Amino acid sequence: MTTIIHRRSLLGALAAVGFARPVMAQNGVPVVAAASSMQFAMAEIAEAFAAETGQSIRFSFGSSGNFARQIREGAPFEVFIAADEDIIPGLHRDGLVADPGTVYAIGRLVIVAPHGSDLVPDGSFDTLAALLNAGKITRFAIANPEHAPYGMRAREALQARGLWEALQPFLVQGENVTQAAQFALSGNAEGGITAYSLVLSADIARLGTYALIPEAAHAPLRQRMVRLPGATPAANTFYDYMQSHAARKILERYGFAVPAAG
Amino acid sequence: MTALEVMARATAPIPLDVSFRVEPGELLALVGHSGSGKTTLLRTIAGLWRPHAARVVVGGMTWLDTAAGIDLAPHRRRVGFVFQTYALFPHMTAVQNVMAAMDRPDRAEAGRTLDLVNLSGLADRRPAQLSGGQQQRVAVARALARKPHALLLDEPFSAVDRATREKLYAEIIALRRHLAMPVVLVTHDMNEAQLLSDRMVVVAQGHTIREGTTAQVMADPQALRAMGIRELAAMLPAIIAAHEADGLTRLDAPTGPLFLPGVVGAPGARVQVRIMAHEVILSRQRPIGLSAQNIIAGKVARVVPGAGPGVVVHVDVGGHEILARITRRAADQMALTPGDAVHAILKSMSVARDHVTPGPGSARVAD
Amino acid sequence: MDWTALTLSLQLAAWTVAILLPVSVFMGRFLAYRRFRGKGLVEALVMLPLVLPPTVFGFYLLVAFGRNTPVGDLWQSLFGQPLVFSFEGLVVASVIVNLPFAIQPAQRGFEAVAADVREAAKCCGMAPMASLWLVELPLAWPGVMTAMVLTFAHTLGEFGVVLMVGGSIPGETKTIAIAIYDRVQGFDDRGAAIMSGVLVAISLFTIALTQWMSARMGRRLS
Repeated sequence: MTTIIHRRSLLGALAAVGFARPVMAQNGVPVVAAASSMQFAMAEIAEAFAAETGQSIRFSFGSSGNFARQIREGAPFEVFIAADEDIIPGLHRDGLVADPGTVYAIGRLVIVAPHGSDLVPDGSFDTLAALLNAGKITRFAIANPEHAPYGMRAREALQARGLWEALQPFLVQGENVTQAAQFALSGNAEGGITAYSLVLSADIARLGTYALIPEAAHAPLRQRMVRLPGATPAANTFYDYMQSHAARKILERYGFAVPAAG
Repeated sequence: MTALEVMARATAPIPLDVSFRVEPGELLALVGHSGSGKTTLLRTIAGLWRPHAARVVVGGMTWLDTAAGIDLAPHRRRVGFVFQTYALFPHMTAVQNVMAAMDRPDRAEAGRTLDLVNLSGLADRRPAQLSGGQQQRVAVARALARKPHALLLDEPFSAVDRATREKLYAEIIALRRHLAMPVVLVTHDMNEAQLLSDRMVVVAQGHTIREGTTAQVMADPQALRAMGIRELAAMLPAIIAAHEADGLTRLDAPTGPLFLPGVVGAPGARVQVRIMAHEVILSRQRPIGLSAQNIIAGKVARVVPGAGPGVVVHVDVGGHEILARITRRAADQMALTPGDAVHAILKSMSVARDHVTPGPGSARVAD
Repeated sequence: MDWTALTLSLQLAAWTVAILLPVSVFMGRFLAYRRFRGKGLVEALVMLPLVLPPTVFGFYLLVAFGRNTPVGDLWQSLFGQPLVFSFEGLVVASVIVNLPFAIQPAQRGFEAVAADVREAAKCCGMAPMASLWLVELPLAWPGVMTAMVLTFAHTLGEFGVVLMVGGSIPGETKTIAIAIYDRVQGFDDRGAAIMSGVLVAISLFTIALTQWMSARMGRRLS
């Protein structure tokens, strides 16, 4: 019966795609989990690392909180580059990593606004307060303060200025700091608070304007990284490279402050 | 081939308490109104339903015995089932439908079975491309292809129009010559039951009202109270003599000629004529000047009173019986007693087209 | 254009469909034709993956099959590596998440086969397997086909569950949906648009192909 032929050709099409297990041609390439706010900086660092050592790196970008959860479930990452400093000590306390990791960068917050917005970015939040009072704020984006480090710091900064309560009805929360930047610069919000490192990348810089938020307004955004059990020698080399002079130069270009070499 | 014995008892979902037996080659009609349980009985025989207590035995092979814990699945019973809706496989052609029921699918043999039901040339049509009557024939062919030990027909003619039904009756009667197994036909149509069956079981609310040969049941006013007293009738065999120029057909019946309008068939063909009891007038003398063309001489065999104002007079005509339903008053006035000579008068026009079918009515075991 | 991610997605979809095809047929038929106590509960459970947010569902799967779980440890002992964060883990998660897409339409397809036709099959001497192959499947095939198309398309687009269970490891668990999301997150709208376009084109082609095949089958039935 022709029905059989039709069924077979469907199966054949599926088979043609290949039932082979995906080719792990990338065995030996270290897997590094990094916070999404680090994506642009890490791309450059990895490029420099490859130029120097000939070794490439595979990145998985996402939220630090999610990565921590996955690491607890045995995720095969070899190095974890977080966007805050509390998650990794937590892993260390629970015996999932051998050491409490290293602070590799200190991040900064910026207030941003897309071109054409009523908001003119101002690190002291004066313009924001003025617009709020004038009732001209409809949406303001930050990262989710429940689990995203940059979100938590944004909340602290707003609380310090006494704007947190007033801003509540207008807040849009990004799942991570990159999504917060997207919401803030999409034209659907007057602006938002995101990571300094993100706005220094060319792709984002052209979308709007920004102003640095003073470090005193919030707890420091110390960012830790750690080696995970099962890290290959290549991964270890990359971990060390992250603390090298070349890497630090790149980090500084992305607006991070780098702790003194030690 | 062997006989079919059925016993079924249940309280839910409908009450049921029936048992009967069908001999090989015999056609038994299960008649009753909707909800009487007749289709349930058929489904019990096929294995599509199991009552609380039941036994179905086909010649020594027990298909179902609730007491003994035996219940063969339908596909393990050699049963041929013609559904009221035909239930043909819509994705298969007619011949493929027939082959589906064969143990060893054989296209040539399936083709022959289709020839048997007068469907030659339509083997490669799908059910959607067949008329109702043609679909019914495929359903019958498929049931026969199973080589069943019992053939079950569930109101198989209810979905077709009258003209088609007449044709199908004739075909089933012709087919009976080839059927060696017991056959059970479920119907609510008394005409159909009388034309096609040898024995009848009348069922109402799941209980047997009357059981017997078709002639017995169709002459019994008590039995017919459930199905409608106006169904009382007798079958008279006759042979077509000639088609006359004015549209009447002359038939040779046991006691003389019968004239009926436009009977289909060639001279010499045997037919059966269903004569409704309420259409028959009785007269002691042979009447003259009457419009009725059929005046049949006979002898009173029996006078059976009914519950109401009527009586049924059994008139013997040359070894066969005609029934006449007249008022008790008339019977008293005429002082009819067994043995009296009477004339049964029948209008040509009162015999309906579908009350004449090919004969003979008695079943024959396959050659 | 991340070809590795696309290949990964197509392979994941192919494996998911291959595994769920027999599940679709047998579970769809079972639920269509059997009545039993608790059937409503079973049907509700089948629908469950639709109700939970994908990342949440993914997280529960991660916890259920991860380290120190019966399934996870069994897998580890058999294959020397964890089930989660691997392609095989994605297949397991994908199969579970696609159960409602694989079973429901197939169930409807089998339900559409007239009861008297199935009874006729029994009376023709067909045992249940013969009836399935010769009568029910040819008639219910459109439903099964729909189920497989939905499963395939849904797997290609699946994001939350794959992200949680897979960890987005390039070359292993980073599917095209995740790759597109990464591009969007990286403000590379052009890259995202290209990959989305390819994904949509593949899906449309697959769906059109199967609709054509279904129509052909429908014509043969009438």
